Amino acid sequence: MRKAIKIGLSLFATTALWTSGALGAGGPKPAAEPKAKTIKELVARYDSSGCIECHEEINDQWANSLHSHSILGTPRTAPTIITAIEVGLKNFPYSGVKDDKDITVEHLRMCTKCHLPQLDDATDDVAREIVATIKGWQKAKKDGDDAKAEELEATIASLNINCRICHNRMAIIHKWADGYPQPDTVYGDKDGDHEDEKFPKMAKAPALGESIFCGQCHGTGPNFELAHPSQCATLYGSYLFAYTAEGGHESCQDCHMKKSGLGHDMQSYNSEVMAKMSMDVEVDGRSLFWRKNSAEGVIPMGIINVELTNKAGHTIPDG
Amino acid sequence: MGRGPYEKSGLLRETSLPPLKTVHETFEIPYPYTDVVKDGKKTRELVNDELVVNVKLWYVPFGEFEGHEVVFFEDEKKLDLKTEWVWR
Ligand code: HEC
Ligand code: HEC
Ligand code: HEC
Ligand code: HEC
Ligand code: HEC
Repeated sequence: MRKAIKIGLSLFATTALWTSGALGAGGPKPAAEPKAKTIKELVARYDSSGCIECHEEINDQWANSLHSHSILGTPRTAPTIITAIEVGLKNFPYSGVKDDKDITVEHLRMCTKCHLPQLDDATDDVAREIVATIKGWQKAKKDGDDAKAEELEATIASLNINCRICHNRMAIIHKWADGYPQPDTVYGDKDGDHEDEKFPKMAKAPALGESIFCGQCHGTGPNFELAHPSQCATLYGSYLFAYTAEGGHESCQDCHMKKSGLGHDMQSYNSEVMAKMSMDVEVDGRSLFWRKNSAEGVIPMGIINVELTNKAGHTIPDG
Repeated sequence: MGRGPYEKSGLLRETSLPPLKTVHETFEIPYPYTDVVKDGKKTRELVNDELVVNVKLWYVPFGEFEGHEVVFFEDEKKLDLKTEWVWR
């Protein structure tokens, strides 16, 4: 009986710890702003150009990462979104999409949930404008109209995951406990005053330094909350179920931002630093005779044994 | 990333490398040989008793060698088979 009470108490203690993280960070749900009606308005709403003045190095790092052009991609993402519409949505009998004019924010959410979460703050017109812009860009490239292609590519690249997406919009995960991000606050690791006149406060977001923060977009499997679940990145699932389950204890930020020395230039195999951090490989070789069978006799054989150890915090490669 | 979610769907073969695990791969490379008849007897002769093996680990993001591939590791092994062996 005493044992049972003890267990009850320790469970209570963990619950208490969870909620105590609430102090300081967020606040009540801010009144919804009217939805952005154009790409320009949406980009302006999350404009982070003011941050460059004081955080130049971080901005330069970020600009080199895929987060800075998360709809354009390598640039494979934008064309793949079009494929998902043409091959998927338009052929699904119950999607309601027969033509580009039928596309809504809800349709694009199967990609923008992670590639552009702020699209939820825009009207369906913006969803259609994005699709038209990508198609225009593809056409201009095909027609060899470089000036137009460049201009449209810049528009597509302006739709991205920038400072204000991570340090404000996505910064607080458990909003009922920790509060909603406030419009005058940048979220990081400290509470206090912040020099930016548009964001005069800074506050600690309880989980910004934890893997779960990145997990919001880096996927656990199918996106079951959608009417038509999509699946793209699943790396956070691998981190949870294969890496930490095997005793791994570093965070995404530990490896990608600190150990790599890359800071906000979060990178993958494309970067030499990350490629070096990714694998231990041992190669051993010897020669033997193999008594195969009576028909083929003895075969002279070189044997190469390769041992591959993945040192990343998740499967290689992702999706 | 680049091959889409297909390999992680549970429906197709998944060959990615799991974290914190060591995966073993063995490659068998027969030495080139010919079967000849010497003094009326069948025997086997090595064409070459040395092999130079180039081991390369590629990251092939889009599943094809089309320019995005990256070498993660490279090593060269020299093997020889200079032992005397009586072919039977
Ligand atoms: C669960 C969040 C999530 C959803 C939903 C999602 N993606 Fe992704 N996607 C990512 C992340 C994160 C990456 C990069 C991660 C990586 O490389 O492992 C990525 C990478 C990609 C890439 C390869 C990157 C490149 O630039 O070459 C393409 C293409 C892509 N996504 C297209 C799409 C399309 C199209 C949709 C909608 C049908 C979609 N994604 C839905 C999170 C998501
Ligand atoms: C993809 C999400 C993401 C984006 C985009 C992002 N940050 Fe961060 N930032 C983080 C995380 C996570 C940390 C905390 C890292 C840690 O654990 O120490 C951080 C830390 C910081 C810090 C404090 C520590 C340091 O590195 O000096 C500052 C300041 C900062 N970011 C500013 C910015 C600015 C300015 C931008 C835009 C140019 C930006 N961040 C874009 C995720 C992001
Ligand atoms: C006028 C200069 C200035 C501007 C503009 C500015 N910052 Fe800062 N910011 C600072 C300084 C200085 C600090 C460090 C404060 C401290 O450590 O006491 C800071 C700290 C931060 C932190 C907290 C870092 C931590 O260690 O937790 C974040 C996050 C951050 N800024 C994000 C932003 C974002 C996002 C923008 C743009 C919306 C921005 N800043 C614009 C000067 C500025
Ligand atoms: C708001 C959603 C979001 C958050 C939060 C986020 N990411 Fe991403 N990340 C993406 C998307 C989307 C892409 C792929 C963009 C593309 O290529 O289309 C990406 C790309 C990347 C890449 C490059 C992948 C490649 O194939 O080259 C790395 C590395 C990465 N993220 C790490 C992180 C880490 C670490 C964190 C947490 C500190 C984080 N991300 C937080 C959405 C997010
Ligand atoms: C122990 C170190 C380590 C940890 C922890 C870690 N990563 Fe990685 N990550 C790496 C290395 C090394 C690579 C380069 C290999 C590669 O591209 O697959 C990488 C690659 C990636 C890629 C590109 C995947 C691809 O298909 O090539 C993304 C996206 C990424 N990490 C995001 C994350 C996120 C999000 C987390 C936390 C949930 C995380 N990483 C945790 C070391 C780590």
